[in-house]
Amino acid sequence: MVSDSITHNAPIASAPNSRDFSKKKRTNRSAKLKQCKLDVRREQWLSQVGAVKSKCCKEDQNGARKESARSLENLKPRDEDNSNDSGSMHHDSDSESPSNSPTNSLLCGNGGTNPGTNFIGSSSSSSSVSGSSGGGCCSGSITEEEEEDGCLDDWEAVADALAADDDNNKQEPEHDRSCSQSPSESQLSVKSDSLHELANGLSLDSVKSMPDGARMVPSVSENNRRAWRPDDAFRPQSLPNLAKQRSFPAADRHFGQGGVPWACNNVLAAPSSCPICYEDLDYTDSSFLPCLCGFRLCLFCHKRILEEDGRCPGCRKPYEHDQVESEAIVQGGSMTFRLARSCSMIARS
Amino acid sequence: MATVNGYQGNTPVAAPTTATAPKQPVNTLKTVDTQSVLKRLQSELMALMMSGDSGISAFPEEDNIFCWKGTIQGSKDTVFEGTEYRLSLSFPNDYPFKPPKVKFETGCFHPNVDIYGNICLDILQDKWSSAYDVRTILLSIQSLLGEPNISSPLNSQAAQLWSNQEEYRKMVEKLYKPPSA
Repeated sequence: MVSDSITHNAPIASAPNSRDFSKKKRTNRSAKLKQCKLDVRREQWLSQVGAVKSKCCKEDQNGARKESARSLENLKPRDEDNSNDSGSMHHDSDSESPSNSPTNSLLCGNGGTNPGTNFIGSSSSSSSVSGSSGGGCCSGSITEEEEEDGCLDDWEAVADALAADDDNNKQEPEHDRSCSQSPSESQLSVKSDSLHELANGLSLDSVKSMPDGARMVPSVSENNRRAWRPDDAFRPQSLPNLAKQRSFPAADRHFGQGGVPWACNNVLAAPSSCPICYEDLDYTDSSFLPCLCGFRLCLFCHKRILEEDGRCPGCRKPYEHDQVESEAIVQGGSMTFRLARSCSMIARS
Repeated sequence: MATVNGYQGNTPVAAPTTATAPKQPVNTLKTVDTQSVLKRLQSELMALMMSGDSGISAFPEEDNIFCWKGTIQGSKDTVFEGTEYRLSLSFPNDYPFKPPKVKFETGCFHPNVDIYGNICLDILQDKWSSAYDVRTILLSIQSLLGEPNISSPLNSQAAQLWSNQEEYRKMVEKLYKPPSA
């Protein structure tokens, strides 16, 4: 039963993507971007699943992975037939509107035991709640983008939103977009939602057919970090490599802002830790600019260097010791004096 | 201890300071100071392993994070291409405010490396900055291989031969003994 429903549904989810690719003539670039979007999206929901420790759910996922991988290779032609089904399925379950409850893992556990029933009639309405609805929203907006030409900007917005989701559960731009979806678009996204279902063992319901994306937005689980490993045996071959994705500068930038773990921290201008002792810089430290060259370090290390050779590690010039001291006296304590000092040092250069 | 003895045998001058460095963390109490050095070294190790620089590597010895073994491969298009050199790095207790002692353990025929493996490199002495780390040290030594400072040689024979790169290459090949394990 379980595997049946999975095999039946898998092509619905995976095929539209490839169909879209072939259908719409795109430049290489936008195709790549789409791949990335898809990858991001897959990562998100798959990792929601990965976070769940319940065994049954895990097994189901493995099944789902396997099946979806297979379906990607073999079952693409079926998507036309299935798309309608899935659409109606989701409309059926529309009445059980997601409530954004943060009980993903619990629900996932439930759904994992009987995903088949969920797919068919959403009989277990409780499990058709949140969980992957946030991912659903994302996929909605992503599929919508595929209709547009300004891929890069929108995709960046999505990436932003995905990343922001991780931390804050807020994403404004997506609401509007999912509201403005045309019927066909929403069908597309419904189809991709069914992949969510597969992954989660959840009945995903309604998500896409609901016009107001707002309700589904904030429920992406907080530990949606990993999905396929590059060496995963069941990883669909159509997925782009993470390495490729990282090579997009835009991706790096946005994920860096969003705090996704594989982002590059070096993007930030001010170091978050002292380059000398590797301890974190607190506010005082990070507003402390002892040398004109801009080399920052924590107050402890600075003091220690002053006691020894007194030269800035960044430029090897001696710290301007006296100037610092005199200004400290004039201006008095705390933050203002530190800021003022660094400013004045710059001014004097 | 083997390392310490090795230092003493090879370089009597440097031995006293070198020998104390690896000993101290073992013998003295774990002061805050030592802790911060530990943190720094551990962070460096992580960063070095994540950086994936080609041609350099380093790892602490089994029981002492204050003693590392590093390897450097000769850069392409230099007379050292295809060779690999093992180095030892021993970090003082006040690292990174003081530079580590770095030595070649594999014999290296180079104007700025003496027969004991001592390296004449400014950033390991007076030009040291606490902003340097193992990675930058190894990269600096790697680039020193291809760009020696002929004017202040430790190995004058190598310095004289440097002008004749073909002969120098032959010499490097003749003297090169790959580091064992």
